Amino acid sequence: MTPELLLRASNISYSNGGKNILDKVSFDLYRSQITTIIGPNGAGKSTLTSIVNGLIENYTGTLERSHTLKIGYLPQKVYVNTLMPLSVQRLMQLTQRVKDTEVDEALAQTSVAYLKHRQVQSLSEGELKRVLLARTTLGDPDLIVLDEPTAGVDVTGEIKMYGLIGEFRNRLQCAVLLVSHDLHLVMSKTDQVLCLNKHLCCSGLPESVSKHPEYLALFGDQATDAIAVYAHRHDHVHDVSGHQETCQHD
Amino acid sequence: MIDWLDDFLFRSILAGLMMVSIAAPMGCLMVWQRLAFLSDTLGHAAVLGVGIGLLLEVNPMFGVLTVVILIVFSLSQVANFNNALSETTLAIISHTGLAGGLILLGVLPSNSVSLEAILFGDLLATTHSDLLMILVTTLILLVLLIRHWRPFVALSVSREIAQAEGISVRKEQFLMYMMIALLVAVLMKVMGVLLIAAMLVIPTTSARLLSQNPEQMVLFSAAFGVLSLAGGITSSFQFDWQTGPSIVLSATAFLVITLLITRQISLWTRRRSG
Repeated sequence: MTPELLLRASNISYSNGGKNILDKVSFDLYRSQITTIIGPNGAGKSTLTSIVNGLIENYTGTLERSHTLKIGYLPQKVYVNTLMPLSVQRLMQLTQRVKDTEVDEALAQTSVAYLKHRQVQSLSEGELKRVLLARTTLGDPDLIVLDEPTAGVDVTGEIKMYGLIGEFRNRLQCAVLLVSHDLHLVMSKTDQVLCLNKHLCCSGLPESVSKHPEYLALFGDQATDAIAVYAHRHDHVHDVSGHQETCQHD
Repeated sequence: MIDWLDDFLFRSILAGLMMVSIAAPMGCLMVWQRLAFLSDTLGHAAVLGVGIGLLLEVNPMFGVLTVVILIVFSLSQVANFNNALSETTLAIISHTGLAGGLILLGVLPSNSVSLEAILFGDLLATTHSDLLMILVTTLILLVLLIRHWRPFVALSVSREIAQAEGISVRKEQFLMYMMIALLVAVLMKVMGVLLIAAMLVIPTTSARLLSQNPEQMVLFSAAFGVLSLAGGITSSFQFDWQTGPSIVLSATAFLVITLLITRQISLWTRRRSG
């Protein structure tokens, strides 16, 4: 049985101020699959998630998604507004009304139930991340978008967090779109990898992507540690800085 | 009409209470989104509206509404709304409007309107028709606030999360700016153009010190608004001060008291726990 297609992006390009940020990126998101976007800094990872989320509208290409697609979103950075008093409990109900018991359950998943009555301003970066991660699971979402959920979290926390994301997927039967730097951890938990460097260098199962010359060129030494090899025809080359040197599409 | 509505003091207290009930939630939203300066701008530019209203011999209120709504609408048409709200842009609009308005008022027959009432408001001169207008505006704003409260708060916390999770940030933001325009037009009558921002900012700042949640902050703001109103009207009567400025000073007095008390309490609790 093929999983339900939730979102189809075709030839998405985006430039801002004359600068090319994304170039003809295409991919599909399916229910119950974890898709991870990897790529160097400035590769357009956050831009791509913003397009999926509807934050950026002036892109070219097409994005097919149902109007009823319910998204839970964890941004890369949340600026805490000290002018507004805000408890964790209230933050959990930011965009929807949620039963108190559901708030408790959600917070318990990421082991932060004890923070429920704390003010958001008083949380550490790691605590806030956990609260916001728990928040994305509320209200039965179809798609959870997580932009670098492990930034500011220590390594053991990171491993646990990826485990949790897998559990969310199993329990909620939702799609997960994840932006990450951590190759090893990501590779073992992912169904689909999008290796991005302005254009889509390669995509597919983690095993196949990890063998891709472009992936290897982008991530070098780090990449050799991650999983096994798989030969894959490449159509262009990257220099050390990640810039694309030649490109001969056919 | 009911008898007690004929008492000018009763009318002004009623007008003041309605003003407070709408200034509390709107003021909180504006403080959260750092928009207090926008209310100042609209207030100053509203003087131009008064001038135009008098020039065309219609109710100055219509002139004010037209001007503030036009300003908000043009700001919203600029591609990036938030860039359009830069301090420089707002200062230019603010003072151009004020200057134009002052010139119009100077040219027009001097007995038509009191400049002092425009600048500082005249709560005690609230007429029956003012009261009706304030009532209608307050009701419209309250209904919109109740219906849009969750999205308004959500986009004050994070525009990104709000948009991703299905809130149309641009539409909600536009609606909010329109509501601010309407609010300024009403508050102007009561508080005067120079003191509008004070009523939106000072009670909310006191409330911030005591609240744990956005909704609590609104309730405390309303409470501080009522206290300031009572203090202002009383001192206005007692010492024959102008009402608008008296209300503002009394709001500041309550802010200072709250600040001192909360600081003392936090010192005590720290000492006890330390």
